[in-house]
Amino acid sequence: MNSKESLMILLSSGSGKMGVVFFLALAFISITVLVLLPLDFGSQQWNNPTKWADNPKSVPPVWMQPFAGSDAIQHMKFHTSEPVKRTSEEAIYNFSYDYHSSTPPTFISFATSDIHFLKHPPVLIVEVHRPDGKKLRLLQTVVRGARSGEPLPITRYGEVPLRILLSENQSTLDLASDFLREEFSVDHTTEQLRGNLEELVFGTPTIHDPSKYTPLNGQYRFEIRALLRDHQDRIGQVNLVVGGNHYGIIGTDAIGRDLALGLLFGFPVAMIIGLSTALFSTTIGTFLGILSGYMSGKTDTLIQRFADIWSNIPLLPILIFLIFILGQKLWLVVLILILFGWPGLTITVRSMVLQIRTGQLVEATRSLGASGNRIMFRHILFQISPFVFAQMIFFIPTAILAEAGLSFLGLGDPSIPTWGQILESSFRTGAVFLGYWWWVLPPGLLIVMTAMTFVLLTLGLEPVINPRLRSAKK
Amino acid sequence: MSLALILVKRGVTLLGVLFAVLILVVITLGATGFSDRVLDSIVSEDLRGIRQNLSQTIRDPDQLQNVLETRRITLERYYGLDQRWYTRLPDMVRRVIMLDLGEARTLRSFEGSAKVSDLIMERLPYTILLITTASLITAMIGLPLGILLATRVGSKLDRGISYASAISYAVPAWWAGIILILLFVYEFRQFTGFLIFPLPEGIYSTPPPEGGLDRFLDMLWHAALPVLTLVIVSVGAWTYVVRTLVLNTAQEFFVTVARAKGIPERMVMRNYILRVAAPPIATNLVFGITASLGGAILTETVFNWPGMGRLTFEAINQADETVIIGLTFMFTLIYVITRFLLEILYLILDPRIRYK
Repeated sequence: MNSKESLMILLSSGSGKMGVVFFLALAFISITVLVLLPLDFGSQQWNNPTKWADNPKSVPPVWMQPFAGSDAIQHMKFHTSEPVKRTSEEAIYNFSYDYHSSTPPTFISFATSDIHFLKHPPVLIVEVHRPDGKKLRLLQTVVRGARSGEPLPITRYGEVPLRILLSENQSTLDLASDFLREEFSVDHTTEQLRGNLEELVFGTPTIHDPSKYTPLNGQYRFEIRALLRDHQDRIGQVNLVVGGNHYGIIGTDAIGRDLALGLLFGFPVAMIIGLSTALFSTTIGTFLGILSGYMSGKTDTLIQRFADIWSNIPLLPILIFLIFILGQKLWLVVLILILFGWPGLTITVRSMVLQIRTGQLVEATRSLGASGNRIMFRHILFQISPFVFAQMIFFIPTAILAEAGLSFLGLGDPSIPTWGQILESSFRTGAVFLGYWWWVLPPGLLIVMTAMTFVLLTLGLEPVINPRLRSAKK
Repeated sequence: MSLALILVKRGVTLLGVLFAVLILVVITLGATGFSDRVLDSIVSEDLRGIRQNLSQTIRDPDQLQNVLETRRITLERYYGLDQRWYTRLPDMVRRVIMLDLGEARTLRSFEGSAKVSDLIMERLPYTILLITTASLITAMIGLPLGILLATRVGSKLDRGISYASAISYAVPAWWAGIILILLFVYEFRQFTGFLIFPLPEGIYSTPPPEGGLDRFLDMLWHAALPVLTLVIVSVGAWTYVVRTLVLNTAQEFFVTVARAKGIPERMVMRNYILRVAAPPIATNLVFGITASLGGAILTETVFNWPGMGRLTFEAINQADETVIIGLTFMFTLIYVITRFLLEILYLILDPRIRYK
């Protein structure tokens, strides 16, 4: 049977069709991700908390927003490099934010970078104009000035931006305390304000219980002023974030990582783990199986005894041990899976070869003078190749599930995010117990779907290997 | 071939498995320098004991230090630390087998012992309890259901189970466990206000109930969901294997002949089909053991079930290498022993081997 016929048989069954469609989808996503995301995504972005500082932490996906009703808060990230107004003394930036919710935003943070100044360091002021006409100063800070002997002009925060989480900033809390006293005659120490700055900024204290706030809906205007002495002084980037409670299409984890990105990166990783492990272990297994079955004698006994023992070593415990001792490297995981994956196939292939060897085809080719190698790796291999191919596909989910399990135990490669690792971090931080389903369900579903794809393909390939099933279908 | 000889042969292979794992473990440990560290910690542990004893008789700190130093050298020679790692391999193998691996770095047994053997031996029964219960329940459901399906091939139920078994192969037991916890513990409590299954807090509620019976019932309650998880993920595949093997036998000619002779269907099934299908069923199920062992390690972790699997998770978290070494050996040992018991079962089931 040639490969075209095999494909036709595969596509004639429901499971085969589904498997092929899923596989094409997986392959397409994997390749797209490899093109779009950098290869060092894991170490450079995923495990770099500053990349995710602007995101709300542990929040459900955006499409859940309608279900949250009046509790939904818009997540807004303002970002600009052009001031709306630049006078000789100051640069002014304006952001407006529509607040319509019954709960306060999750955080307010301010960041700026690339500050150039000739001599005198700029002063940065952040103020918010509320819908009730009141103005609240959130920040007043001076950029670090020139040290003695430092060459002028000076650039500050070129690589690492100055980031201030206003919700926890001491001077912001002091300013807020003053604001409350002046505008509402309410006395709150900064310690009392810690943790509910957002309520104060986006609300008014209730009359009978000043520690509670009523949300004040409407248009807020954030005004950022940079007081600049020299006309050459300038601010590169200005960034202000009002934290919402929904983010991305999957949501975020406890340090604000966009789960959608991590899950996307998991596609090519899972595919590479599955395909490379399956390819190499099937190759070794088939080679040794044919050798063992065809050569017989001592070679056969040796390979079979070894395969007997090797195939019986429980995989997960030994995998845990080796990765724990040798180091958490993904290539090592793949290597170990290959080294322990082949013996089962060797035993089966050998029994098939034993049958074929006594058949007429082999006898005929041998009488034509074909060498042992030619018989083994051309004639015999050709006959068992559909079976070997199906076994290879069947091995892919085993490898993917083994890696996922290992990652779940905390032995994943820290530089490469996988679905198993995302599940591990959700389990470790108690997301399961807090009901953060968006952090628990998607990675697991992806593992199951990917493994399922290859199981479906194996099911669809069954009639190719077993002709009896083919005739029975009709 | 006599029965005993076959068993000996299988036993030798399984001992070979154990031996292969041991060699792999000690060579890895030796070549990476881990065995030095294990022995070093044993030496310093011994020295601590000696120091405590000596400090009562020797007052002069310098003299004490000298005595300790000579003792240290003697001890290092005794443990072979002055030689290359490969000369110590046999001794290391012995240590692993006896779980004589010194003290765990941070992990402690329930009674507070730091000895690796204490830690592992105390967890062992819980793992065996979990795996055995789950396997027995799976078998009790899978066998009759598989036989039933074989008589109703192509029915809706048959196709349903076929798909379920394919899906269950792709569902990791630990993730299924997480989902069950999410649904039946947290969401259920959210909506109804009470617990149908306990929080994943271990084997007993905190505080554990007084009285033997209450305690036992409490343990059953805590074991229910982990066992259910393991059963759910493996029962589909089990049933499917039984169904397929029974079906293959049912298509043989001798079965047709038996039916043609007018032998009642129940008897055909029991004496003709099942008798022949039993050995391959047993073989196939043997291979399921590895999977269930791996599944149990992770499922224990999810449910906080204090078995060896959970201990593995804790040892990884605490970087307690000696515990991991001991666990690797114990898992292999459990596997090998289970395999051997199933080999005996196989011999009982398959008369062909006996009468050859």
